Amino acid sequence: MPVATANADATDPPGVLILHSYARALPSGIVVENTLRKIIPDGFNAPASVYSEYLDVEWLATQPRYAAQEAELLNNKYRERNVRVVVASGNYALQFVTNFRDRMLAGLPVVHLLVDKDSLERTALPGYVGKPIDLDPTPTLHLALRLHPDAKRLVIVLGGNSTPRDRLWERLTRLAVSRLEAGVDVEFLTGLPIPEIRRRLGAFPRGTIVFTAGYSPDPEGVSPRHSVERMAEASAVPIYSQFDSYLGTGVVGGYVTPFEQLASDAGAMVVQLLKGATRSSQIASGPLKQVPMVDWRQIRRWHIDEKLLPPDTIVKFREPSAWERYGLEISILAAILLLQVGLITALLMGRRSRRQTAAALGESQRQLSLAAAAARLSAWTWDTSENEHGSASRRRRRANGEKTTSIRFEEVLGSVHAGDRENLRRAARRALRTGDDLDVEYRVVLADGAVRWVAARGRPEGGDSRRLFGIALDVTERKTAELRAAEDRNALRHMSRVSMMGQLSAAIAHQLYQPLAAILGNAETAQKMLRRSELDVVELEDICKDIVSEDRRATEVIRRLSDLYKRDRLETKPIDINQLVTETLDLLRTELIVRHVDPRKEFAASLRAVDGDPVQLQQVVLNLVLNAADAMAEANGDRRVTVRTEARGNDVRLCVIDNGPGSAENKLDTVFDPFWTTKSGGMGMGLAVCRAIVAAHGGTITASNNPEGGATFCVNLPIREMT
Amino acid sequence: MSDSSPTVLLVDDDAAVRKALSRVLREEGWHVEVFESAEAFLVRADHVADGCLVLDVTMPGLDGLELQQRLIQTGKAMPIVFVTGYGDIPMTVRALKAGASDFLTKPVEAEALLRAVRAAIEQGASVRRARAATAKLRQRYDGLTPREREVLTLLVTGALNKQVAATLGVVEQTIKFHRAQIMERMEAKTVAELMHIAARLEIGTPSEPPAQSQH
Repeated sequence: MPVATANADATDPPGVLILHSYARALPSGIVVENTLRKIIPDGFNAPASVYSEYLDVEWLATQPRYAAQEAELLNNKYRERNVRVVVASGNYALQFVTNFRDRMLAGLPVVHLLVDKDSLERTALPGYVGKPIDLDPTPTLHLALRLHPDAKRLVIVLGGNSTPRDRLWERLTRLAVSRLEAGVDVEFLTGLPIPEIRRRLGAFPRGTIVFTAGYSPDPEGVSPRHSVERMAEASAVPIYSQFDSYLGTGVVGGYVTPFEQLASDAGAMVVQLLKGATRSSQIASGPLKQVPMVDWRQIRRWHIDEKLLPPDTIVKFREPSAWERYGLEISILAAILLLQVGLITALLMGRRSRRQTAAALGESQRQLSLAAAAARLSAWTWDTSENEHGSASRRRRRANGEKTTSIRFEEVLGSVHAGDRENLRRAARRALRTGDDLDVEYRVVLADGAVRWVAARGRPEGGDSRRLFGIALDVTERKTAELRAAEDRNALRHMSRVSMMGQLSAAIAHQLYQPLAAILGNAETAQKMLRRSELDVVELEDICKDIVSEDRRATEVIRRLSDLYKRDRLETKPIDINQLVTETLDLLRTELIVRHVDPRKEFAASLRAVDGDPVQLQQVVLNLVLNAADAMAEANGDRRVTVRTEARGNDVRLCVIDNGPGSAENKLDTVFDPFWTTKSGGMGMGLAVCRAIVAAHGGTITASNNPEGGATFCVNLPIREMT
Repeated sequence: MSDSSPTVLLVDDDAAVRKALSRVLREEGWHVEVFESAEAFLVRADHVADGCLVLDVTMPGLDGLELQQRLIQTGKAMPIVFVTGYGDIPMTVRALKAGASDFLTKPVEAEALLRAVRAAIEQGASVRRARAATAKLRQRYDGLTPREREVLTLLVTGALNKQVAATLGVVEQTIKFHRAQIMERMEAKTVAELMHIAARLEIGTPSEPPAQSQH
């Protein structure tokens, strides 16, 4: 058998080709893509190229002739690139690989994932490895019945048998239901249009539970996840489903195959193959276990008894209770309270003997400081007086036998990180002036240079306007976690931007090809003209001038692009919002043309600058404009998106107005939540990322419907403070 | 009809591209007219008989593929060379299926563009030549008497003079006379040539019975 790597260019790093089943990035596909792109370079520990191709099965299924062409194309494209492993994601990608096994990258090992057991048996050939997924709905049906002991009716909702996926689910659920030993009536609803199924779901009486696998992706762009979301929105009864990515759409949950686990297992296999493992013999590949996973909000919504959940259940979207959030702090305070009670008791009892009391006090204090040390907790009294009077009053108190741990506030400030000193001073002054509680976090620099985060709570000591007392808690761990979370959010912002740029890549390439086409045409004409005996100097000069200006135009496109691909480093500078919007709309020009959207600008004549990070603010504008374009994707007639800027007191306001269908009133509050999406392709992060960026700039973002139709998203950003 | 200086109609929304491509085409000696949008083309373009259209796909308003459809629907189809920076396979398939002469991607090499335009002009010219020839034959056919057309239709089915005479209820001599008349008027030297002409005019095929097409 000819091995494709034989004629590969030895200088290329080893490569991996990921074949996705669908043209559009479905949520599962995104998880697979991101996980593999992380795991493979990490695990291989040497340069490796990861290529991705989306097969568009819906289209290929209707065009068998093109499937062969596609295979040939892929073979030509990757034959020379030192590809060592092919990853097939999904049943259809694997089917494709098997169909063209001898023509496309023949002989390479194949790692598959997201392929179910039955399909695997039909399509697998020697040289394939991977963990098949178990699609058996039985565990999920059992879970549903267990969580709803009173259920009388089970309704199975499936797509209309028009696709292999629908047929597969029909077969699987019928088999599972036939084995079900429960006293419920079972009813199948297959192939109903979504509006109809929504109506039925909304009318189901209590005691009904629903299982669905979602509808197959359809050419209109409705993903299975989206279909499930539409059902859950309208349903009067709980819905169960068994896909990882459906959690959060409103379903309760089910026994799911964790996609991320699946993808990282597949990634590990790829790494082993890249490192030279010889095919399946050395690689473990049993089926992946399904795990119970539920959405906590749905558990609450349907009043499901939490105790009925299997012990290994993964609970998602749980809002942490006060105890979970502040458990450590609460237990420390409780411990201190107990010690105090103990101390008081000891004092009362010890009235008989001063010695006894003193001993008890000493003991309590020792225990207290022990507990405090263990909890990194300390009690303090700060004295903010700066003159002799303050010292005198301290001495007087000491002379009166008052035991004080008071330290001068200036000494406290001395050990505080320079960056937080002013903030702490201001907070202390405010507390003393207003009598309110002090609640502040700051960094302390220890003698060895280590930096710890401290949270201090306190209040003014009664009667003395210069003294504060309270407790301080070392919160370094929590703060570190918070900062890490902020970093993660940053990475998410970056990722969401890069994935958006990926969607736009074809349109942006077009913007680059325009100047390149002009340059090429001009230069080739000039070459021909130079071969003539008579030179038209005027024309040649004009050609050169055009080449220079088109070259600049191409450079500008590349500069803006590379800005957007830059890893986030928050840099703040004064920004002219009008110019930012103009540049962003330029970048989107082709994309909007292709989508038949007409962009309009309504700018305030002169705007004060705002302080901000240009890349991030541009991301906000990009997101809002694309979001508007998406909202109008199905609208007939004019598709307009207007970007309006105006000055509003101390704010600059930027509004993006579309004339799409608008949003349901009750959804306007939730559009900024993560994973909220009505699009099949989107991750649902766009608006959440917008809100996070705007908040980080001290601004606000709002959504509303226009009286004449469509929706408006407005961002308010504070203008630059003159200092 | 002469191909010496055909007209190339260029539609692209990008001014710089328009200028550069028209330079490439003019340098080749062609007459070039430029349009900044499909709408402008529909308003201003004279229907040029011997030219070809160099058309961008991605444009605001009516795009290139839509313009192609519009021209087909209004009976103004002409050879089209698409030039796009935003092409994918389905788009190419659509354009070629609708009769596009070529589908090039930006940035396009001058030689490739010239070759495609040359081929498109030649394609247009040969279509026109064929159309003109057919029109001439049609004209001759229209000059036949109703009786002669009837006879021709029967002859095309392969019937002998005798059988035609029986069908029409006349003597064989009359048919022979009609046949000679038909051959002369259709300028056919042999019966085989006459059959060929009839096939080209689709006489005797069920899709277009000539007797009805004349009303």
